[in-house]
Amino acid sequence: MEDKDMIICRCEEVTLGEILQAIKDGARDVTGVKRRTRAGMGSCQGSSCERLVEGILRRELKKTQADLKPDPARPPVMPITFGVLGGDQD
Amino acid sequence: MIADKQPGFDTQLAYRSQQLFKEIVNDIDYNIEYTQKGSIYLIESEQEWEVAENYVKQQVADGFPMRMMDRKEIHDDEPHIADDIIGGVEIECDAACDPMAMAYGLALAAQKNGAEILTFHAVKDIKLDEKGAVKSVVTDQGEILTKAVVNCAGVWAPHVGKMVGIDIPILPRQGQILVAESTIPVGKRKIVEFGYMMAKFGSSDYKRNVSPEIEKYGIAMVFEPTSHNNFLIGSSRAMVGYDTRVSIEIMRGLAERAIRFFPIMKNINVIRAYAGLRPYCPDHFPIVSPVEEVPGFYIAAGHEGDGIGLGPVTGKLISQMITGEETELPVERMSFARFKKN
Repeated sequence: MEDKDMIICRCEEVTLGEILQAIKDGARDVTGVKRRTRAGMGSCQGSSCERLVEGILRRELKKTQADLKPDPARPPVMPITFGVLGGDQD
Repeated sequence: MIADKQPGFDTQLAYRSQQLFKEIVNDIDYNIEYTQKGSIYLIESEQEWEVAENYVKQQVADGFPMRMMDRKEIHDDEPHIADDIIGGVEIECDAACDPMAMAYGLALAAQKNGAEILTFHAVKDIKLDEKGAVKSVVTDQGEILTKAVVNCAGVWAPHVGKMVGIDIPILPRQGQILVAESTIPVGKRKIVEFGYMMAKFGSSDYKRNVSPEIEKYGIAMVFEPTSHNNFLIGSSRAMVGYDTRVSIEIMRGLAERAIRFFPIMKNINVIRAYAGLRPYCPDHFPIVSPVEEVPGFYIAAGHEGDGIGLGPVTGKLISQMITGEETELPVERMSFARFKKN
């Protein structure tokens, strides 16, 4: 048996059990899981957990990667301070 | 929030919704991260102070919990705001929740009470009977017979309206948001620049001392702490159709305006930017109304940026309309018929 307490999203400390519950509640893609659990909402923006979440969705929903809509990519590519973005600092 | 409402019916509607939120929090078995910490307006100039004072006087006379905060009080209470802020307005009753949790929580509660929710069903058409009343909804997975349809499709409401042959004057008004990393508490509650009121309602008799870009994109600082120690920074306005891409010009403008009010943010990270579409109605009032010419067809859309705040009262009023009860608030101001040309 898998450990339901295993952390999948490290930034937001979301467990496997919480992700499985989100899928049970109706999540059908990475964005649906994210909105329900915050997986992928932390400082790395899913760069470590998105593939894991996708893998769990594929397995639970019996889908292929091509069936799953990816979470939309949004700027910034890496965290940037308000100071640099707002033009006050370099 | 009632903070950004015009005195009178606009505020009354939002206030009733706030009361309903409390009932919902008790009724549903889902954490929507509801907090009632109030909100604050920041005042930059004597001219804003004067406008704010009049606004508060009027709202207090109508019985709403608002008050002015002088320079000392506001800086003691919110120590990270810029030194030159001369005062503020506190709106004690304003609250916040996680909007996505709110949607999921309400959906799950509805299911528990017997509602059947069909996700991933595309609505293709709405059929009317020989008298012109609603008969059925046609989806890509079958037809559903019904006597009542509520069009609550937000910015897409006009497309659903076309299915029954009516024109709904709602347009998408884009807004962009910066998401900050989880960090120290920069502010205790929702903090908004007073100029936001002017940006929202497009008041022309007042001009802020801001760069042309800030003016052009309707940028006004809105700070919203989340229950996960992040915060969000808005707000912007643009009519760009259904485009939800963010733009670097607006991201820069939002950051510039955020630092102006919170210099401490210079060293805090932005981890994400996103854009969304507000369903904008030309007179800034939503449409919460039956459609006379199509019996059984109702509209609950066009709330611009108030969809979450006004959600509970909208649901209540629409349910009263459908069941033929008397609505608990006057609804003429939100009628669909107000757009008919005389």
